[in-house]
Amino acid sequence: MEKLSKLPKIYLAVVFMILYAPIFYLIYYSFNSGGGMSNFENFTLEHYAAVFEDKRLIVITLNTIIIALLSALLSTVVGVLGALAIYFMKNKSMRKAVLSLNNILIVSPDVIIGASFLILFTIAGVKLGFTSVLLSHIAFSIPIVVIMVLPKLFEMSPTLIDAALDLGATKRDVLTRVIIPFIKPGIFAGFFLALTYSLDDFAVTFFVTGNGFSTLSVEIYSMARTGITLTINALSGLIFVVTVLIVLGYYAISRKAKAPLAEVKR
Amino acid sequence: MKDLIRGVILIVIISFVLMVINSKLGEGGSRSSKDSITVYNWGEYIDPDLLKQFEQETGIKVIYETFDSNEGMMGKIEQGGTSYDISMPSEYMVEMMAEKDLLLPIDYDKVPNIQNIDPYFLDLPFDPKNKYSIPYFWGTLGIAFNPTLLEGQTFESWDSLWDPSLKGRVVLVDSARETIGMGLNSLGYSLNSTDLRELRQATDKLNTLIPNVKAVIGDEVTQLMVNNEAAISLTWSGQAADMMYENEDIDYIVPEEGSNLWFDNMVIPRTAKNIDGAHAFINFMLDAEVAAQNADYVGYSTPNEAALTLMDPEVIEDERFYPDEETRSHLEVYKNLGLEMLGIYNELFLEVKMNMN
Repeated sequence: MEKLSKLPKIYLAVVFMILYAPIFYLIYYSFNSGGGMSNFENFTLEHYAAVFEDKRLIVITLNTIIIALLSALLSTVVGVLGALAIYFMKNKSMRKAVLSLNNILIVSPDVIIGASFLILFTIAGVKLGFTSVLLSHIAFSIPIVVIMVLPKLFEMSPTLIDAALDLGATKRDVLTRVIIPFIKPGIFAGFFLALTYSLDDFAVTFFVTGNGFSTLSVEIYSMARTGITLTINALSGLIFVVTVLIVLGYYAISRKAKAPLAEVKR
Repeated sequence: MKDLIRGVILIVIISFVLMVINSKLGEGGSRSSKDSITVYNWGEYIDPDLLKQFEQETGIKVIYETFDSNEGMMGKIEQGGTSYDISMPSEYMVEMMAEKDLLLPIDYDKVPNIQNIDPYFLDLPFDPKNKYSIPYFWGTLGIAFNPTLLEGQTFESWDSLWDPSLKGRVVLVDSARETIGMGLNSLGYSLNSTDLRELRQATDKLNTLIPNVKAVIGDEVTQLMVNNEAAISLTWSGQAADMMYENEDIDYIVPEEGSNLWFDNMVIPRTAKNIDGAHAFINFMLDAEVAAQNADYVGYSTPNEAALTLMDPEVIEDERFYPDEETRSHLEVYKNLGLEMLGIYNELFLEVKMNMN
């Protein structure tokens, strides 16, 4: 890569600063002993202690993570299969129609999706709670995964598949050794996008939570009227640190894995 | 392919471990609806220690959920799907839910602690004879202001907002009933006026306030006031208490001409499964000591007369949040004026807003 000259570097620094400043502002005030986010009085860790004392908050946080992981996983599986199906469709107008139906789901407002899920679940007799939240998160994540995976499929040269078949690969081999390795970046992108969608979704989730099951975004929104406490700042700080650690850990592992990559993948 | 499978296994294991931790934290897992109740409340609107105390005293487990708007709450109760045993709508929402037949009448034989409530707060127009609801917290609408930004100027009345020295400093609430109501009150009319002539006068008077108006906004006013970016705002007492908690310079008054009196109320939705448990919870929350502890935690005004004697005298003598008889006699609860009248209010408010440009 070319070396960056000064101006782009400054630009980059400013953009990153703008992106990260609110998060650091939030974390900074999580150490404030005065109750609010305006004037910083003294350093304290009491808000962090409060996070660990508040069992309900921990349960809700873990719920949010579980829902995000499972819904991202399942929607990735379904979404990849869906993208493959769309890719291999012979009828062009059919392919277009299915793709449009997929895109409509991405564009349609969350509130409407949420309200319709609520009606569906109550009619179908699904008890609101873990299952209903998981199902609706999977549902709204699938179109996103499809959209992330499909371009990768079209990027792949069709001769690749023909070559594999000519060389005696079975259909299963073509899928697992040719197609999937090629679209892997798209699968990862889809997974992580689904993960973040699930983590911060409020509109849909609000409608389908119930029976004591709740997620972090619903919980924080409902604090809006009486004011959000610094406990939430502390929790956000913890989540931020964990995220950074995960990203660093991921890089460490992938670098280690890359080093002996010279050997042929099987 | 291999690393994808490894990733899948990893995610499943992590989720499973988290679920196990969660069910351990969830204290004993789920029980039948007979010995648990589901409480649906605004966020941060109860002292969590009281929920534990209630569980210990009665053996009824509390499942606690929160909502962020009256409308969202009603939507979920109306649709069913979850059985909430207790909810806390504002007064206009109590009326609406009662009309839609979403509430169960309260059995007062099971709620002896109702005697703790100040009779002034009972039998109000939104729920005659308190058939469906019992007040939980109450408050007023008034003026929050920051004397340090106003060279020590103070306020007593709505009329003082029209002072020419306040050019471009007053922040209004983006809500028709509140703003038009302020116009009506400043002329000495009722907040619930349906007299078109009075409403016209109020609107004309509000039009003359325009030079003083800085902005018309919603909840974000709290942050503006706290950060000293706004000096005067039309504010509910609960919101004012939050502002003062973060910025000691801010003061609040209930204007002498009169103002709005609002309530959040405990109700039992029609979908309730554990009706006895719900009554037990209401009765528990009305206990003097419990109500005092809760009011101390939440910081809003409690309608519980017996609790007042147990609270810090400094708090209950604060006339900004516990106004005296004289001020109280000027306060009015919003009546449901019907859709047509509400349309007129909205139109007049829109007219004022249009004139600002």
